[in-house]
Amino acid sequence: MIEFSPEVAESIITIASFVASGLALIAGVGPGIGMGYAAGKATTAVRRQPEARGAIITTMLLGQVVSGSTGIYSLIIAIFLIFGI
Amino acid sequence: MKEIKDPKKLQKKILKTTYLIALLPIISAIAAGDMESLLGFVFGLVVATLLLRLKYNNIIRALNMDMESAEKFIRNRYFAEYGLYFLVLFTAARNPSLNFLAAAVGLFMIKFTVLLLSVKDLLKDTFQSQFDRYK
Amino acid sequence: MVEFSPEVIETIIRASALLGAGFAMIAGIGPGIGQGYAAGKAVESVARDPEARGNIITTMLLGQAVAESTGIYSLVIAIVLIFTI
Repeated sequence: MIEFSPEVAESIITIASFVASGLALIAGVGPGIGMGYAAGKATTAVRRQPEARGAIITTMLLGQVVSGSTGIYSLIIAIFLIFGI
Repeated sequence: MKEIKDPKKLQKKILKTTYLIALLPIISAIAAGDMESLLGFVFGLVVATLLLRLKYNNIIRALNMDMESAEKFIRNRYFAEYGLYFLVLFTAARNPSLNFLAAAVGLFMIKFTVLLLSVKDLLKDTFQSQFDRYK
Repeated sequence: MVEFSPEVIETIIRASALLGAGFAMIAGIGPGIGQGYAAGKAVESVARDPEARGNIITTMLLGQAVAESTGIYSLVIAIVLIFTI
């Protein structure tokens, strides 16, 4: 019968939670890629129609406000995992 | 919301509506005497406001670049923003006088407001078209 | 035959639940890229037809809200894995 001392069990759980928080932080890459794509499209759009500049800026601002939130979800989980709240 | 074409006016409208909606949790936290949640929520809301302004300034700067450098610029700025979010949530988790979940909800308030305003616009459009059909 | 004591089994289950929470949050990449892509296309179409700006913004925001749901699923699963197992 295999048994662990309490320190070994605790350190296994701590290692697992640190590795998992690192994995959760990978999700922050996605919004970066998407926002970069939107910014590239906005520059070409402004070149094509300089008079629609205000409309383009408002559209892009709204899109970026909504698209940044999945990164924050992963941060919340990572901090839950690190601190065990 | 969708009629506003000036970005500064749009920011003002979004922030005003956000603070109006945020009054409800703030008043209820005061009534319940939960100062930790109140402080955490206000902290998250203030940081979200500042990051909205930062995002606007970044977009204005990116529009004068060519396509590839704008992509790179906004991507790098997003990662800087991600680091700021991490610092804010880390502070809220470490500091005993700030509630972590309240700070997270405060960070999301602007997004909730934008989605709420768009749902309001959609409902208005739907009712308007139905009304026009029966007129 | 190898046997495990109940504490060992509990440790392994807890550690793998935490690792699973980390893996679940990787799903946050998808909505980030998708929402940014939607924002870019909306900006492009605002430049093409500035008159239809209001409808484009409403459609973009609703599409992003729906695209967000997979990110929220992974968040819920991660929270369940952390706090109940």
